[in-house]
Amino acid sequence: MPRSDKPDALRGSIDLLILKALSLGPTHGWGIGLRLQELSRGQLDANQGSLYPALQRLEHRGDIGSEWRSTENNRRARYYTITRQGRRALGEEVDRWNRFAAAISLVLEGGS
Amino acid sequence: MSRVEGLLARLRSVFRPSDAEGRMEEEFRFHLEMEQARLMRDGLSPEAARRQALLTFGGVDAHRETMRDERGARWLDDLGADLRYALRAMRRSPGYALAVALTLGVGIGVNGMVVGYVNALLFRPVAAKDPDQLVALFQRDMRTGRIGELGYGDYRDYRERSGAFADLAGMSGVPLNAAIPGPSGAEAVAGDMVWGEIVTENYFSVLGMAPAAGRFFQETDAPQGANPFVVVSYDCWRRRFQADPNIMGRVVRLNGTEFTITGVAPRGFRGLRMFGFWPEMWVPIGMHAVIEPGSTGKLQGRGGGDLMVFGRMRPGVDRAQTTAAAEGFARQLAGWFPATNADLTAMLIPAGVGFDHPAYVKPAVLVLSSALGLVGSLLILAIICANLANLQLARAAARSRETAIRLSLGCSRGRLTRQLLVESAVLALPGCAIALALLQANQLTERYLVPKLQFEVGLAARTDARVLLFTAVVALLAVGLFGLVPALRASRAKVVPPPASAGTTWGSGNRPTRLRRSLVVIQLALSVVLLVGGMLFVRSLVAARAMDLGFDTRDRAMLSFNVGLQGYDERRGQAFYDQVLAQVRALPGVANAALARPVPFDTYGQTTAWYVGELANSRDGTTRIPTSIASDGFVAALGLRLEDGRDFTAEDSANAPPVMVVSRTVATRLWPGRNPLGQQVRYGDAEGPLVTVVGVVADAKFAVILDVPGGHLYLPVRQHYRDWQTLVVHTRGDAAGALPRLERVLSGLDPALPTFGKITMEEAVAGGLSTSRTAATIAGFFGVLALLIASLGLYALVAGAVAERTREIGVRMALGSTPAGILRLMMREGARLGAIGLGIGLVGAFGVARAMGGLLFGLSPGDPVTFVAVPVTLGVLVLVATWWPARRAVRLDPVAALRSE
Repeated sequence: MPRSDKPDALRGSIDLLILKALSLGPTHGWGIGLRLQELSRGQLDANQGSLYPALQRLEHRGDIGSEWRSTENNRRARYYTITRQGRRALGEEVDRWNRFAAAISLVLEGGS
Repeated sequence: MSRVEGLLARLRSVFRPSDAEGRMEEEFRFHLEMEQARLMRDGLSPEAARRQALLTFGGVDAHRETMRDERGARWLDDLGADLRYALRAMRRSPGYALAVALTLGVGIGVNGMVVGYVNALLFRPVAAKDPDQLVALFQRDMRTGRIGELGYGDYRDYRERSGAFADLAGMSGVPLNAAIPGPSGAEAVAGDMVWGEIVTENYFSVLGMAPAAGRFFQETDAPQGANPFVVVSYDCWRRRFQADPNIMGRVVRLNGTEFTITGVAPRGFRGLRMFGFWPEMWVPIGMHAVIEPGSTGKLQGRGGGDLMVFGRMRPGVDRAQTTAAAEGFARQLAGWFPATNADLTAMLIPAGVGFDHPAYVKPAVLVLSSALGLVGSLLILAIICANLANLQLARAAARSRETAIRLSLGCSRGRLTRQLLVESAVLALPGCAIALALLQANQLTERYLVPKLQFEVGLAARTDARVLLFTAVVALLAVGLFGLVPALRASRAKVVPPPASAGTTWGSGNRPTRLRRSLVVIQLALSVVLLVGGMLFVRSLVAARAMDLGFDTRDRAMLSFNVGLQGYDERRGQAFYDQVLAQVRALPGVANAALARPVPFDTYGQTTAWYVGELANSRDGTTRIPTSIASDGFVAALGLRLEDGRDFTAEDSANAPPVMVVSRTVATRLWPGRNPLGQQVRYGDAEGPLVTVVGVVADAKFAVILDVPGGHLYLPVRQHYRDWQTLVVHTRGDAAGALPRLERVLSGLDPALPTFGKITMEEAVAGGLSTSRTAATIAGFFGVLALLIASLGLYALVAGAVAERTREIGVRMALGSTPAGILRLMMREGARLGAIGLGIGLVGAFGVARAMGGLLFGLSPGDPVTFVAVPVTLGVLVLVATWWPARRAVRLDPVAALRSE
């Protein structure tokens, strides 16, 4: 599936964050949200529901896989795993993000 | 790998939407409950924790919709809506839907039918195992270039000594007197003359096919001459043996000798020749002496013969190598047998679709005619699609306001295009159904179009996978062509419709292009030509039926038999003829009876050579004249008109002076201005016996009903014995009803003798018209098709004009134009094009009619009835096709029309 190269910062960043969270190990949607909260020290906790469309999209793209598993409390939950292709995508996304962030900060510093 | 899994996951979610929905709901619930529990652990009350969880989750419904959209559920929903919309549109205008279905169906169906024939003609391989390995072997005379079949001696040497082939087999066609006893042996005998093939004993093993039932005979069965075995075709088994499962071991009498049935050939196997009679039975060449009594050369012969030889190449050896080996062996044969094989070389032809003689069936001709047929039928379909596209455009134009509104409300252009495409596809579906029905009827139409001969012939065009595939591709292209163009055009519509005050688009705005107009004119002209041609054929057929054939066709019953195939010699045959005539003439209800062959409208003709000196064009002074061999009383029995002299009598025997009866044309050609009676001509050549004219009859038509009757002469069978004769009986009353009684007389005299060709003279004459009937049918069919297409084109043109000029019409009405005036205005263009098309068509039709004058009989090429009826009918149709859509203009509400655009 061709990846759109359009600058879509929000959508792109959600994908990037999910892949990053899953690169630490398989977990369910809520677990991903929790991880992101912890990693961002509570900065990223709004609109957790938007994780799910992104997860579906990433799965359709083949970057992640999913299966039903039981949690420690014996509840059924959908667990997501990053695929090899997903790891490759993560590397590219991180590069792209870094270039993007660097470009933005160059602009901002140049203006001050 | 994971990309594939992703795709699978996506497909699952599209096709099992309930699964994806359930999973989504479960995940959402799990998430919210976990979050609520976490917040409660932080000290919040259950209600507050629930509220907070929902808050951080965001709009649940919004997320649901995003996921559904992304899954493609939206796509399916839209498709359903498009389908419903299209069906509604179809219900609203059923006439339009019917016109589309009919023209598209016929257009696609004709393509499928043509491809069915082309497939049978060029692409369907010989029904054998590994047909690529099969080649036909001919001998070519290097001096004359003549290509010929092989004698058995050469065949045997090529097979056993050349080493060029894995194996070779041979065959030659032969008529068979087949007498088929009932299953229990002693019951009634059904007899007929059937087409058969004498084949080498290894014929079926070289072909490598599997029998439908029983087994094939082979070389190891019995020595040649002691192998009276027969294999019957699948059709023969079904028709003549009622598909008897216990047919193996049953005995049939072929040319008087008993043969045992060993097997049934596979279904659809009709021999290896495409252009030849379809064989019903195969007998081993070892039995040739009883099959062809008197012929001795079947198992020998060099330097040419009647054996069509084919074989399998050695495994791993290609055709060039095999050809080289065969040519090398031909040189060896030439060295061994210089008297017969000196100039002969071998010629190999790949099996392809059959083993027809390359000199008679030229591949280039087949390819050319196939290509012409294909291009023609595709052209028809293209014109149909152009017309339908025009129609769709007109309808889209009528909806341009709706389109603009939808676009401005945010409907994407892709979505709009798709909706129009779906509409076209739905319209095309019934058309495809009609096309499929036409394809199924292919075999019936072939039976109707192929001439009826003594034995069955044809292409046996079938609708196989290849034909279906081609037709499906053509259908898809057609739907794309007539659907996509208007869809793309419509989706390019402006978002903001031109303001009502802008008057620039009035009238001349989107007038039909020159191309569209000339297309309609061409179609009309073409349909005039075709319809005139078809009608001339039909009228000439009617005239032909009423025409004087030179003999009386009423109350004549005929029946044929071949005593030679039954092993009769001349003495026995003549005695049999006498008995038959004596008994038949004694039957009540019989006015006259005689033997003759050929009779009028026979499958085969016959000529004899006469020495006429300087009257002939040839160097040896002989000329060939069509001849019938007939018994005494033939003039009365055939209903010929005796103009002078006498009929043959029983006294014109072998010992009496040789006599003949000539037709008027022969008499005037050989003895212009003199009394032909008593004149003498030499039979055969300058040394032949003198034959005296004893009678003159009126010219009769023997072969083609539309022909000018040519010269014909008659010789007495007692002086010129032939073993194949037709009994012609003039009955008092019902001729067809007399046939069973005649059969009983024959079977009473020789129960084993098959009779065939049981028919009345009127039926035989009708059969002789079949070629003209076929031509009339085809011309008529395409004429009506062209007419349908042309009317549709005109309709589309006018409908489009009405749709585009709605506003102008409104203005004219508001300014006081009468409805009649509006109608005239809208019809003027269509009527003008119609008149031009008719005019051009009539000029072309005159030319074509003049060219086919030779095929017409009983009416002049400028037949007034045809040249009045066709233009008047077409004129009315043109008016209807323009008036119908123009009516809509009159019905417009002026106020609404003014507001449009």
